[in-house]
Amino acid sequence: MLTEFETQLLGLMMMVIMLGMGASLTHRDFLIAFRKPKGVLVGLACQYGIMPFLGFTLAMLLNFPPALAVGLILMGCMPGGTTSNIFAYFSKGVLALSIMMTSISTLVALVAVPALLAFYTGAAGIGSEFAVPASNVAQVLVVLLVPTIIGMVTRKLNPNIGATMELIGSFMGIFVILFLIVTWVPRNHMLLAATPFSVYFAVIGLGLIGMALGFWLARLLRQDRSRSRTIALETGIQNGPLAVLIVTLTFTGTMQQDVLLIPVLYSLFIVITSTFVTLAFRRIADREALARDQAKTGSVLQAGR
Amino acid sequence: MQHPPADTPRPWAAVYREVGIVPELPPLSHPNLGAFIHDACTRWARESKAKAAFTCVVPNGMNGSLGFAQVDELSDYFAAYLREVLGLHVGDRVAVQMPNGLSYPVVVFGILKAGCVLVNTNPLYTPAEMVHQYKDAGVKALVLIDMFADKLPSVLAMTTVKHVVLAGVPEFFPTIPKLIIRGVQKVWAQVLPPVTVPHTRLAAALAQGRAALQKAGGRVHAQNYWKAIQPHELALLQYTGGTTGVSKGAMISHSNLLHNVQQMLAMGGTHMEPGKECVLTALPIYHIFAFTANLLGFLAIGAQNILIPSPRPVQNLQRAVENYPITWMTGVNTLYNGLLNEEWFVAYPPRKLKASIAGGTSLHSAVAKRWREVTQTPIAEGYGLTETSPVVSFNPLHGEPRLGSIGIPAPGTDIRLVGEDGQDVSAGQAGEIYVRGPQVMQGYWHQPAETAEVLRDGWLATGDVAEMDEKGFMHIVDRKKDMILVSGFNVYPNEIEDVIAQMDAVLEVAVVGTPDEKTGEAVRAYVVHNPEHEGALQADAVIAHCRKFLAPYKVPKSIVIREELPKTAVGKVLRKNLKAEVKAEWQAQLKASLQH
Repeated sequence: MLTEFETQLLGLMMMVIMLGMGASLTHRDFLIAFRKPKGVLVGLACQYGIMPFLGFTLAMLLNFPPALAVGLILMGCMPGGTTSNIFAYFSKGVLALSIMMTSISTLVALVAVPALLAFYTGAAGIGSEFAVPASNVAQVLVVLLVPTIIGMVTRKLNPNIGATMELIGSFMGIFVILFLIVTWVPRNHMLLAATPFSVYFAVIGLGLIGMALGFWLARLLRQDRSRSRTIALETGIQNGPLAVLIVTLTFTGTMQQDVLLIPVLYSLFIVITSTFVTLAFRRIADREALARDQAKTGSVLQAGR
Repeated sequence: MQHPPADTPRPWAAVYREVGIVPELPPLSHPNLGAFIHDACTRWARESKAKAAFTCVVPNGMNGSLGFAQVDELSDYFAAYLREVLGLHVGDRVAVQMPNGLSYPVVVFGILKAGCVLVNTNPLYTPAEMVHQYKDAGVKALVLIDMFADKLPSVLAMTTVKHVVLAGVPEFFPTIPKLIIRGVQKVWAQVLPPVTVPHTRLAAALAQGRAALQKAGGRVHAQNYWKAIQPHELALLQYTGGTTGVSKGAMISHSNLLHNVQQMLAMGGTHMEPGKECVLTALPIYHIFAFTANLLGFLAIGAQNILIPSPRPVQNLQRAVENYPITWMTGVNTLYNGLLNEEWFVAYPPRKLKASIAGGTSLHSAVAKRWREVTQTPIAEGYGLTETSPVVSFNPLHGEPRLGSIGIPAPGTDIRLVGEDGQDVSAGQAGEIYVRGPQVMQGYWHQPAETAEVLRDGWLATGDVAEMDEKGFMHIVDRKKDMILVSGFNVYPNEIEDVIAQMDAVLEVAVVGTPDEKTGEAVRAYVVHNPEHEGALQADAVIAHCRKFLAPYKVPKSIVIREELPKTAVGKVLRKNLKAEVKAEWQAQLKASLQH
């Protein structure tokens, strides 16, 4: 489990991340996204349609005990992680779409997460001692949304400070995951050694299968390949640190330790899987761009630029 | 050439009256640019409503600004650095090779105040192109952006350049954004190469200039640098290929630039409120269009100048458009078209925009129409050449826009249309545009033959063929010179052919322009394989070879390998025939696409 101090520190870092996320947005970005709501709706369908169901299904199929099941379902119900923006950028995806999906899913989380959590934990037959009260989720989210708004206002008033905040926020996104790993893993290496393969399968699977399903749903809904790859990353990458915060707020002692296992492991592995997927996407994007250039004039030997 | 009539008719005088353009230029308010700059900065520091004189905005929104008084002071220091510390004299050439940024006005104003001659240079030039230009101009000092310092060793060895000053993109930015941008450039993007030659950083140069000025009696002493400079003296050597393609320096005087600023303000004055404008400078200042219009023209009316270091991709302009109350824009067709394809621009066009000018290349009527619809403001196409500082003609901002026209001549300009026989053509016929006016250059630097080819009795032959209607509006019909316009940049087939011909694998080459959706025109090279050469001729190899010696906009977009090239009886390659082939090919493509 995390000490009081570590939890506070985590909360602080999350606020900085949200400050950065707010600083990357203007109200115009939202208005533009809502002019063509399809992209946003596809994103929300993936985020809150596919992922919670996937978390639930994996927990059931792998016959997880309640503590693990809650952790996995909670992970599935989380909004998109801010690191998805960094990966979208490096995979040569549609950065604006990624930022939009992360922001909107975080805003919607206020309502969506408690509802979906209650639904799926109920369906999984998980006892009330493992219930996550809606107020806890709301509490954490509101605390995080205030910095978002401060970020947006700052960006409008002073672009230099806003851009600096945006940069610090992105670095913090990666740093926070490293922080979690460094504080948690050494203390729990015995536990990790004893962790069954099914848990590893679940945390990696949540990410990878989520990405695959997100990609196919996006393609099914007629999004082009580049947008679909961005949506895939956005779907699979959940906000791990947010789940950790909610767990530390709700549970204590060994219960906390047990429920924390999956969010922390997920956070660790998602960075690894995302890196590989991003590299693959990047290569595919380059190949597609080259093919597009060559297709432009058929009869002439074209040199790509 | 026949002796031209002394009093050339100006049928466009009626249009001037209609739209409120003053037909006669006032006498020059200043004898030289130093006096003009100092006066403008002093006046506008007091009176302008602008938040700053120059603001540089990088893609993520980080920005830095300089006020009018600051620019005046810093350019005084740079002038002192050139005259006192480096010991340069009036008329010595100083080259500037940087993208748009806060350093640009400081350095350029300093050079002009010092009475030295500015040589604007494209920062993307390869060492070969730099050597040619600097040797020809006899450049003594160079101000270079630090990103390209790795080109210096090869260049310095072969030219007369004795002093190098380096400036960075975030020069004059507040400390933290500056550190962040430099950090990103150095560590992340790795675009700051180590510098291996003796050099001075701009900040140090300014400090030295300041010290020298204080020793000489304070800032007021700086005025001695430009006090005696006469209007006819050289201010600028602007390199261009002209009509033949050989790169040469157009000699632009103080009078040329000051008059052209007046002409530009006369044409756009109806939509300009001195002290209240905010102009977006996405076009590079080293190109004569933005140099005269944005840098000098909008300084004259105390506008805030938003400088964009890298306008590609066009998304880089988003923060600038969002954060500043842009009232004026200058651009080329490629830029306007690019912006119209961006969702963020179309959804939220700049609310305070009053008017836009398009130059450099012809503005497509579809783009003009869409721009007017989206921004609800006029966009006027203009025409000019490096050799005319540059503005020759302009569409008025009021009234019905004439599609495809380059407008009416600017005040003080005379136009003749001359036929193949050297005589003026009859009314309504097409002829080569000859220009006479205070904006016409003094000649080409050290090229008397080339100068005599185009400049006779004060008339400049432009190499562009046009028709003029009864009201004085002109339409370009053809281009006499074999020139390709890539996004408003002049590209000369001769230069490209010379480079490609150096390849062992190439026997012969001919370069022509092809239509291009994005850039207006693109470069295509037809090459013939040299049978003596062992290996095959690869298109990729040709491109790679070009990249080594030519700036990116000159590199061919397509290569066609042929068995032979069409030639005259004497063996001269017929570019005309290849151009006709291209035309047929494009028409066939158009037909095919329409059928689907």
